[in-house]
Amino acid sequence: MLAGFALLAVRAFYLQVVEASYLQNQSDATHLRVIEDDSHRGMILDRNGEPLAISTPVDSVWAHPAELAQARNRWPALTRLLGISGAQLARAIRNSAGLQFMYVDREIAPQTAKAVMALHIPGVALQREYRRYYPAGPVTGQLIGFTNIDDVGQEGAELEYNDWLRAVPGKERVLQDRYGNIVQPVESISLPVPGRNLVLSIDRRIQFLTYRALMATIRKFHAHAASAVVVNVRTGEVLALVNVPSFNPNNRSTLASSLIRDRAVTDEFEPGSMLKPFTIAAALGTGRYQPTTMIDTSPGTIRVGGYTIRDDVDSGTISVAQIIEVSSNVGATKIALSLKPETMWDMFRRAGFGMSTGVGLPGEEPGFVRPYQQWLPSEQATMSFGYGISVTVMQMAQAFAGIANDGMMMPVTILRRDQPVVGRRIMSGTIARELRNMLELVVSSGGTAPGAAVPNYLVAGKTGTAHKLGTDGYRPNSYYASFAGFVPASDPRLAMVVVVNNPRSSEYYGGEVAAPVFSRVMSGALRMLNIPPDNLPHMQRWVAQAPAAGAKGGFIRVVAQNPAAPAGGAP
Amino acid sequence: MSAVFAGRRNSRINAPTLLSYDRWLVASVGILILIGIVMVYSASIPTAERYTGSSYYFLLRHLISIAIGLAAGAVILRTRMRFWEQAGPYLLLAGILLLILVMVPGVGVHVNGSSRWLRLGLFKLQPSELVKDFMIVYVAGYLVRKQDELRHFTQGILMVSIVVAVIGALFLQEPDLGAAVVISFTVFLMLFLGGVRFWHFMVVVAAGLGGMILLTIYSPYRMARITGFLHPWADPLNKGFQLTQALIAFGRGGVFGVGLGGSVQKLFYLPAAYTDFLLAVLAEELGLIGVLVTICLFAIVVWRAFVISRAADRLGQVYGARLAQGIGILLGGEAMINMGVNMGALPTKGLTLPFVSYGGSSMVASCIAVALLLVVDSETRQRKAVRA
Repeated sequence: MLAGFALLAVRAFYLQVVEASYLQNQSDATHLRVIEDDSHRGMILDRNGEPLAISTPVDSVWAHPAELAQARNRWPALTRLLGISGAQLARAIRNSAGLQFMYVDREIAPQTAKAVMALHIPGVALQREYRRYYPAGPVTGQLIGFTNIDDVGQEGAELEYNDWLRAVPGKERVLQDRYGNIVQPVESISLPVPGRNLVLSIDRRIQFLTYRALMATIRKFHAHAASAVVVNVRTGEVLALVNVPSFNPNNRSTLASSLIRDRAVTDEFEPGSMLKPFTIAAALGTGRYQPTTMIDTSPGTIRVGGYTIRDDVDSGTISVAQIIEVSSNVGATKIALSLKPETMWDMFRRAGFGMSTGVGLPGEEPGFVRPYQQWLPSEQATMSFGYGISVTVMQMAQAFAGIANDGMMMPVTILRRDQPVVGRRIMSGTIARELRNMLELVVSSGGTAPGAAVPNYLVAGKTGTAHKLGTDGYRPNSYYASFAGFVPASDPRLAMVVVVNNPRSSEYYGGEVAAPVFSRVMSGALRMLNIPPDNLPHMQRWVAQAPAAGAKGGFIRVVAQNPAAPAGGAP
Repeated sequence: MSAVFAGRRNSRINAPTLLSYDRWLVASVGILILIGIVMVYSASIPTAERYTGSSYYFLLRHLISIAIGLAAGAVILRTRMRFWEQAGPYLLLAGILLLILVMVPGVGVHVNGSSRWLRLGLFKLQPSELVKDFMIVYVAGYLVRKQDELRHFTQGILMVSIVVAVIGALFLQEPDLGAAVVISFTVFLMLFLGGVRFWHFMVVVAAGLGGMILLTIYSPYRMARITGFLHPWADPLNKGFQLTQALIAFGRGGVFGVGLGGSVQKLFYLPAAYTDFLLAVLAEELGLIGVLVTICLFAIVVWRAFVISRAADRLGQVYGARLAQGIGILLGGEAMINMGVNMGALPTKGLTLPFVSYGGSSMVASCIAVALLLVVDSETRQRKAVRA
């Protein structure tokens, strides 16, 4: 009997000394596991640090399928708490048979998570995850986009800057019990790195303002959709980018895929008369035209290559400036046909048409400008007033900002610029200023868009009313109503393009539909950004007295910051 | 009954204290029980917390079992050997009755495919544990009564073999192969030491082994246990699971162990961590040192049992000598088989480690066995004192 005990002692020695390392390896294979230590994705902030996308910690309920399957009598309590059906749970468990892990419910509220754990159901545990929340909701819908449930960007800025925003999970070796519960950490392989914050150029207040104005507009005019972009003309920063109708990224249960598209960068359209300033700029650049050069537009029609080009009214003989003011197609055609195709093409290309802006959003389209070698006279004519060329709202905003910035076009971006960037000269400063003066006329009472006027500020802009292209040619009662402009015209700071897609009401002109949006948004934005007015009543007198009269200090200083204010700015 | 009265009278004259008993034995058993308390608590915490919410659940029940065991032992210490010698056949009958009761639906409790328990209020009684004691008490008496006839095959060994076969069959009915093996092993060793002829003994042992082999072949789950034991790593996730996990525990422990409470195997990897496979957890937490100490303690228990037996024999206390021998063989056999199973040296059987493992009936039965041993010891000492 004692020999038996001695044999046991030998066996114990064999197991615990001789075989120990082999057995320990066997142990490590089952007991150690590498887990990912999640961290949170970076925030997306507007230019003033206001949050546009934040990650909030939530809990997900997971289970060891085999164990949960055994605790069948506890299912009702679990399903009641989580609001899922018993059949759903049964199916999920069946589908996970043989696995060590299954999600029961993801991203639940903290108090629900606590209640689930209080049930003490065998095999059920929590996992910390981060849920993305978008405080601005539909206002920044397509711009910010969204992430999927695994925290990977799917659309918008979330997709474009996923690598920047993304958190790198840490890796940790842990000791687990047989049910996969972590007992204790063994070693840290790599530390989790939280995602970096992304600061956009967007100003949330202007974004809100734009969203409200566009929503009101599509309701009022029964429009299909609308887009708008606001750009800081000096830096190229996009201050607002709105597409309506939008979607609520926080609740995507009923999301239609058509709403996800950021139309301002992904959809091309024919700009119509909004393009005329660039035709005129090309003409002024040849030196053969001055703003005062007179063009005969009678009788309001002209035939080119078998097509008839019309104005709404016969304006008679008018100046180049007035061609912009009344938006004469015939005048634009006559000027265009006197230019070499290459001259016009060169202008369009320099203004950024036909190539991506690189604003930094996914799915951007470059638009299309046909190579000038292929241009027919009729095409050259229609292109002068924006048909036969396709652009995006973003391109148009960038190009108008270029005019506003004295011909120096700054590349647009949706990221806040802390360092100045090099712009591209698209026209001489002189021509840009001449164009500005012409574009001011558009907003005057004699122009096509008096509705774009902003009280106390000078506004320059251009309307567009383009027939939408259908499957067989242009559709007679379907339009893009648009307005592109900038403000204050004497020293432009903000440019904005508004495009309303298919307004179905008696009013459909850009001046009637899109221009008021510009007015509403800009009057708010100028105030918010503290941009001094350049068109107060008796403005000129103040300016004239400014150098001498120190008594009016506060106001004079404001004016003095804007030395470029032209003397004859008022209409 | 007169024996009981005799005991009481006697104890009034010469009330024995704990220290007047065999100190080696008392100390070893005491240390084993203390080790058991610590290890049962340590090994049962994960299961207790997971399924009952209180980490003390199994510890408390273990302590209650020990208390009942010690109380039963204290009562037995006040009895005399004569009482047990006479009560043997009745106890055996009572044991058989209990084993039959286990099979009665509604009275017996069915757990994990076995019906080994009787419901007794808050506790469950596992009669097979008590029957082991009863069997030894009976066989010791049989050896004394039939002292002269033992050399005949029919009188000597056949009768007892039939009794063992009946009890064994009842054990297997539950099924409780471990108990059947232990009791056969104990009884035949008692017969051998009691003077049965060697070739008679060998015939019965051969028959017993043959029967066991047949049983193993005809019952798939036992076959699975056998093959699992021989090649645990061939199927470590299924048949060999329990054993490989136990071996891993030994390996993890090494020489000095991972420290009390540090076992990983008890975290649901090792089934029955606080009952049949408690030694594996002990090996993991206390290392080879802890295992050797445990083996030594059991060796001391067996050694003292035989010392007591010899002392009784010298004084002509044949019954006491046989009883002490049987108890030594029973406790030592259980311990050896349990430890052998834990170390993968023997096929897996449902056997606890006496005094150490969690399991109320086993604890009470082991305490009773030691108490009987101490009764033999104290009567021997008294007689010695009288002679001197």
